[in-house]
Amino acid sequence: MPLYESVMQEKPPIVLDIGNAYTKLGFAAESHPRKIIPTEVVLTTTGKTKLLFDYATTEELYDQIVDFLQTIFFKHLLVSPKERKFVIVENIFGQTIIRETLARALFIHFDVSSVLFVPAHLISLSTLAVPTGLVVDIGYSETTIMPVFSGVQIMSAFKDQSYGSRAVEEEIKRQLLATGVKEQLLTPSVLEDIKVRTCFVNSFERAYKEDRQSPPDVEYGICDDDAVISIPGSLRESVYELLFEQNNERDSLPHLILRAILDCSMDVRRALVESIFVIGGGAMVPGLLARLKQELQHLLANDDYYATRFHGQLQFKFYQAIGKQNFTAWLGGSLCGATDLIQTRSLTKDSYLKNEHVPDWSNLCDNRHGG
Amino acid sequence: MSFMQPSPVKYACSCGILNPINKLFFCRHCPKLRCGFCVCHEIESHFCSNCLENIPSSEARHKKNCCANCFDCPCCQHTLSARATTVPVVRKTEEPKDGESATEATPSPKPSAMPTTKKMYYLSCLSCRWTTRDVGIPDQGVATGTWPDKECLYQVRFNTLMEYYQSLVLQEKQEKQEFLRRKTPKQHKFPSLTDRTGLTVSLIRRQIGWSDKSIPKTKPINIAAAEASADVEALPEDIFTQPINLRNITTVAQRHSQPAEQPEAVSKLYPQRRSLWIKRSLRCRQCEHNLIKPEYHPTSIKYRIQLFASYHVPEVVMVRCEQPLQPGQANAIFLKFTNPTMYDMTISVLDVAPQDAQISPDTFQQACRIKEEAITSSPLLKTTGITLARQNSIREVKRDVRELTNAKIVPLEGPFVLNQRDDSKEFDEDVQAPTEEPKFIVWRKANKVLIRLEFTPAAELQSGNTVTLGFYMQYTYVNTVSNTPDKKEPTTHALYSRIFIEAGDIANAVAN
Repeated sequence: MPLYESVMQEKPPIVLDIGNAYTKLGFAAESHPRKIIPTEVVLTTTGKTKLLFDYATTEELYDQIVDFLQTIFFKHLLVSPKERKFVIVENIFGQTIIRETLARALFIHFDVSSVLFVPAHLISLSTLAVPTGLVVDIGYSETTIMPVFSGVQIMSAFKDQSYGSRAVEEEIKRQLLATGVKEQLLTPSVLEDIKVRTCFVNSFERAYKEDRQSPPDVEYGICDDDAVISIPGSLRESVYELLFEQNNERDSLPHLILRAILDCSMDVRRALVESIFVIGGGAMVPGLLARLKQELQHLLANDDYYATRFHGQLQFKFYQAIGKQNFTAWLGGSLCGATDLIQTRSLTKDSYLKNEHVPDWSNLCDNRHGG
Repeated sequence: MSFMQPSPVKYACSCGILNPINKLFFCRHCPKLRCGFCVCHEIESHFCSNCLENIPSSEARHKKNCCANCFDCPCCQHTLSARATTVPVVRKTEEPKDGESATEATPSPKPSAMPTTKKMYYLSCLSCRWTTRDVGIPDQGVATGTWPDKECLYQVRFNTLMEYYQSLVLQEKQEKQEFLRRKTPKQHKFPSLTDRTGLTVSLIRRQIGWSDKSIPKTKPINIAAAEASADVEALPEDIFTQPINLRNITTVAQRHSQPAEQPEAVSKLYPQRRSLWIKRSLRCRQCEHNLIKPEYHPTSIKYRIQLFASYHVPEVVMVRCEQPLQPGQANAIFLKFTNPTMYDMTISVLDVAPQDAQISPDTFQQACRIKEEAITSSPLLKTTGITLARQNSIREVKRDVRELTNAKIVPLEGPFVLNQRDDSKEFDEDVQAPTEEPKFIVWRKANKVLIRLEFTPAAELQSGNTVTLGFYMQYTYVNTVSNTPDKKEPTTHALYSRIFIEAGDIANAVAN
């Protein structure tokens, strides 16, 4: 980029994807986030670290969000938020209170010029340049599935379940405690590290075999406590089984995907089957897609419920994300912020200050025509 | 004063948040207390915390907020240092010896037998012993500036996507404008039916022989959409049999420090450019004056403007309570007041907010603001779009001070004077004539006064509860800056702050 261009250009919008575990932050029109930081705040009164979305009152949440944004602007992005444009990647079924508080912090405390809220599932597809896809987001606290057809989200077919990375970490903890590991060793960061470095999704054939030989154990050193714990091989291959657990609820990940597809109208089902896009930090575990595909094909062939509803030769197809899956939604926001949409579709400060409210699709006041 | 421990004495900032005095600022123009929450933070300058080089903001933006010369270890995030080695260079025999070699060899009778050496550099972490040689980055001839950056693997694809969407949005915008143009009836003297379609214009143009004046429509550039495939990456077979070596697998922090690649193997780690730091300046949100402005140079830790509250507001230090705290029992607390300013202060300790004290500057400002608002919100001006006053863009989020007190204080009988700070007085002989002091003053020395304040903890407190007493400290403040240039005389304000003191826990009643 020639120097004059960078000087003359308007300041690039800031793109934020505030997840439950990690926040992706950076500037629009860049191909990767500048930083990926834990979504935590350090309390000034006690010096303890606390999750951002762990709050008792709205005021507390507001203070925490202001604190957190302050860290982002002045420690990581090193830009003044004043008169900036923002792209916020949000969960479309996210809590209104978080959305409103975030907008209040940005507009009133930080004096930003405009905020563009983009739905995470929809915008993730823009990184593929395809209009149709079944977006599966495996996050920290939940897994959400949103079918998108021709750039329109099919809201009625949205599915979510509370298994995500946190559930996997809890399962690791449960299994390790059962082997006799002391609880104070298993801090959240240690559990996360064990999950990321040693665990994987078992293959379909092995998962249902009774007498399989478990993979080798791993000796895991915890440097903070000078302790070495042994991670059994059976743990490494089995913790992710909770995504595929067979139970009467029929709410495991493959079931959820199939049910989401069935909730869509008949004409779009084949297109969705052939365009599954798995994103989110939880999707980066090795072996997930292979297992998911086989589970889906297996259910389609052997489960009566689905066999009577899906017809024809169906082959599940998966998209490959550009970049890493944990910032795919951010990347979509970055693409979106690079276009002219940031001028036309954003919520500007003036319109926000008029009645201090963020327009929302679920709010009747905003949905009325001509209202 | 306890330096590392949280102070038991908290001041209520004008925004309603409680803070110890060392975290507060004092705006001389308002004049009010401000805290880090209710001031506007601004970026003063960028610098590298390792090489302490000042980097202008345009360059910082261009370099993506990274230092050009300093690197962080991808393994432990410590700073990398350049190490030099000497490597032998094969030299052609016919070339005459020149002085470019790093080692000055003694003149030798056989020049071809003497191998020349060259200095080569690699980066090494002094904390975890990681080196650039570990990951196969070749050594460089110069210590800084030539280290290659890792290219983003999908940059080309990303750029194509970006261009595609930009043109798509542009096309949509043009179509919208075209649609609006056609929809709105032309304000013309002689309305014509054909003109609605724009046909007349193009017809006339064609008759004259001009070319059609249509704006070239931007066509969205074609893009190859991503293709879904049924082939997914299967687990490697050896994952079930081969033991893994944790030393070769990166941790989450290491992966996130390289967000673009997030390598899983240690061998793919790459030195990271060190991110810059900033110097911050603070600005009052109401009057937009600077509260803190650091000196520009990164090596300096001094300020050009520093309006810390501890330079302007009397400091209150809790010394001790007279007796163990008991619920419902009268007690007294010793407080030391210190005057940091060059002017004498008159201080009174009250249990209700003083009525006439802060009203004057406050109501004045309030009145001004209401007036401004009345003018700007008048419909006439709104329609013409004129704003007379500069809009105070950021509103201050004010909140009520959280009521914490659970003890009742007995306000002092009258105000007392706190002498000015005089550093030379420290060395003087004590020549203070004994004066008639109010009886709540325990002792007085230079600009410090110890007072005894009586209070009663609430009767319903349990043992172990913290007793918090609160009072209003009214003080006179001599303001040496004035907003109007003609007035040179320093003005005296009567200000007050709310102070909360954690006196301690209720003592165990059984023990006595």
